[in-house]
Amino acid sequence: MASGTIALVGNPNSGKTTFFNALTGSNQHVGNWPGVTVEKKEGSFKFEGEKYHVVDLPGTYSLGAFSEDEVVARNFILTGNPDVIIDVVDASNIERNLYLTTQLLEMGKKVVIALNMVDEAEKRNIDFDIDGLSKKLGIPVIPTIATKGKGIKDIVKAAIDLMNRNMAAENPVQYGETIEHHIRNIERLLAGKELPYPTRWTALKIIEGDQEILNNIKQSPHLDQNLTDYIEKFHQDHRNEDLELEIIDAKYSFANKAVDGTIKRPAEETVTITDKIDRIFTNKYLGIPIFAGIMLIVFQLTFVLGEEILGGLAADLIDGLGGLLAMFLVYLGAPGLFTSFMIDGVINGVGAVVEFVPLILVLYLLLSFLEDSGYMARAAYVWDDLMRRLGLQGKAFISLIIGFGCNVPGIMSARTLDNKKDRMITTLITPFMSCGAKLPIYSIFIAAFFSRHGGLILFSLYAFGILVGLIMAKIFSKTLFKGESSYFIMELPPYRIPTLRNVLRNMWDNVYGFLKRAGTVIFVVITLLWVLAVLPVSVEPYSQLSILGRIGAFIAPIFAPAGFGSWQESVALFAGIPAKEAVVGTLGMLYAGQYVEQGAILVNAVKLQFTSLTALSYMVMTLLYTPCIATLSVVGKETNSLKWPLFMALYTFALGWLAAVAIFQVGSLLGFS
Amino acid sequence: MLRGILRIISRDGYISRSQLAKELNILKDIVDEGIMQLLRRGYLLEENTGEGCATFCVKCPFARNCSKEIVKTFKISAKGERYLKNR
Ligand SMILES: Nc1nc2c(ncn2[C@@H]2O[C@H](COP(=O)(O)OP(=O)(O)O)[C@@H](O)[C@H]2O)c(=O)[nH]1
Ligand SMILES: [Mg+2]
Repeated sequence: MASGTIALVGNPNSGKTTFFNALTGSNQHVGNWPGVTVEKKEGSFKFEGEKYHVVDLPGTYSLGAFSEDEVVARNFILTGNPDVIIDVVDASNIERNLYLTTQLLEMGKKVVIALNMVDEAEKRNIDFDIDGLSKKLGIPVIPTIATKGKGIKDIVKAAIDLMNRNMAAENPVQYGETIEHHIRNIERLLAGKELPYPTRWTALKIIEGDQEILNNIKQSPHLDQNLTDYIEKFHQDHRNEDLELEIIDAKYSFANKAVDGTIKRPAEETVTITDKIDRIFTNKYLGIPIFAGIMLIVFQLTFVLGEEILGGLAADLIDGLGGLLAMFLVYLGAPGLFTSFMIDGVINGVGAVVEFVPLILVLYLLLSFLEDSGYMARAAYVWDDLMRRLGLQGKAFISLIIGFGCNVPGIMSARTLDNKKDRMITTLITPFMSCGAKLPIYSIFIAAFFSRHGGLILFSLYAFGILVGLIMAKIFSKTLFKGESSYFIMELPPYRIPTLRNVLRNMWDNVYGFLKRAGTVIFVVITLLWVLAVLPVSVEPYSQLSILGRIGAFIAPIFAPAGFGSWQESVALFAGIPAKEAVVGTLGMLYAGQYVEQGAILVNAVKLQFTSLTALSYMVMTLLYTPCIATLSVVGKETNSLKWPLFMALYTFALGWLAAVAIFQVGSLLGFS
Repeated sequence: MLRGILRIISRDGYISRSQLAKELNILKDIVDEGIMQLLRRGYLLEENTGEGCATFCVKCPFARNCSKEIVKTFKISAKGERYLKNR
């Protein structure tokens, strides 16, 4: 028969289990608390000839009813009747740990504090006045180092001394007058009743509205209707007074007073590096220009590294492979049609898309770097601020940033916006954020005509997309959707050095997506178009007389006002609706079939087909026009309608067309070509 | 302290632990604790980006982008707003 039960209570990682092991050695067993999956550790030890029972309770920060751990710990303390509690407190973190201590004291328990990990605290130059702390709390405080077994004997002795003493618990925390008044009232009602818990504590829980305790009290057979009515009325009357927060606050200030003057820690760095950087990066006026500057650098690097340096290598590689494959097929005597499919369709079509892997790689490497460093959170905040000042939903910018990778997840992320207005507007403008699939289109045209200012043009396209998005958002919020936008708060985590793992993983997600699509959707689209381009067999393949050529020629006049009226370009735009990469793939295949003598390099063909002005209008068209099928279908799913995806397909097309025509017409008037 | 945390969060429109700790003259751990209390009691609500993508687009090659959290966002609940206005 044990002479008493000791419970070990404390915050997670304060050293309870280490303590428990030091106390019990091998006299322990592990089970489960009834009804829950929380581990229960029990054991025993001998001290001065007597045997004591010890229970290691789950680590918690408080004793509410918010998690299984808390409920288990609380129930054991209240109903398991431990004779004494050893509260294991992390000495480097006393302030936080004392909140729990305060709750234990309020439960009327006998508590001793094991001020554990004092070795760690010393390393951090934290000074303690242990006697002072003990006096302020009114309970024994013993410094320990559980890992080395230091202080264990002392704390056990203190605990057992306390256990054998008859000590009426004092009220550690005095609350404000209102709360104390309510406590007195409830205590009066509870007086003389047989309660499962201490009276004052019960009164507090009733005021806080702790559901579990309320239920238990109501079920208690000794309570009368009066009390239940009183409780109900109390909550009715004081619903809006936030008494629970006042109670919590009082506990914190009790803990604060206890450490005041008894614990000295070296001054924390008050102005951190993060603060200093943020003073500039999140500045009301500088925030957006800095964001723009950073993005300009990102695009410049993307273009130079991804397109000019690595992109060239990739293009040469695919070209070389194409040459070898062609030779091999001729050598094998493969049928002409098959050779044409492999070379024009696969190598020049799908290959034209794959060539852009380095570009995608560099761009997303840089963006991942920004994200992992914590900068993207600032960008979102700065945009949130700007958009809010424009009367728009700020949080939308997060969806937009995700949309730069792929519009589909961008739109999906808008579903967390809880009012319809915000959700719809975000959904409708996300397609103006250029996704990874559009990057190959831009870079082909930039390489052909604007390679001297590659980064700048690329940046301008993205920026133009955002601008159009903002303008459309403003228009939609004034016309289609009215109402208040909700207000979000972002958490700005500290800046940090990005980890290679996170950056690479993030980048790979995008590269993988791009590659996977090239192998699936793009391949299918190109194959289909190839079939249409070589049929009927009676005509010259890839010519305007082919089925594809006739379809293209039929559509082409629509785009004549925008300056790119040839059938190939029109077909390519429509091929972009299943998937944007197919624009480049289609041009690659069709031009390769046509400009056999120029070699298969797409850039050269583009130079012959376009001028700088039409290249610009074509890029703007691809930036703005109808999003891909996947995006449209997710819009359909999210809005549960056919109307919205249809509306989106048409309004973006119209917008793209208008912008492209405007660029070409105005540009022509001004004498550009 | 809790009111202070909520007031600063609402004023700045963002949560920066170091800023809160500095202004309220408390440790960052206590700031965390306070934010947790506000969350638990529904004065502050945590938003979940990217939830539910898993059900819809597991096959989408960009599925993992979907659930990434560029920045954690919160909202002050109606209860929180009222608490700030009281007194
Ligand atoms: N330096 C030091 N480390 C300790 C001390 N007590 C426990 N630890 C370590 O703190 C960590 C958490 O301890 P544990 O007993 O699992 O904590 P619990 O979550 O409260 O059960 C472990 O790595 C222990 O080795 C101590 O007094 N000093
Ligand atoms: Mg443990």
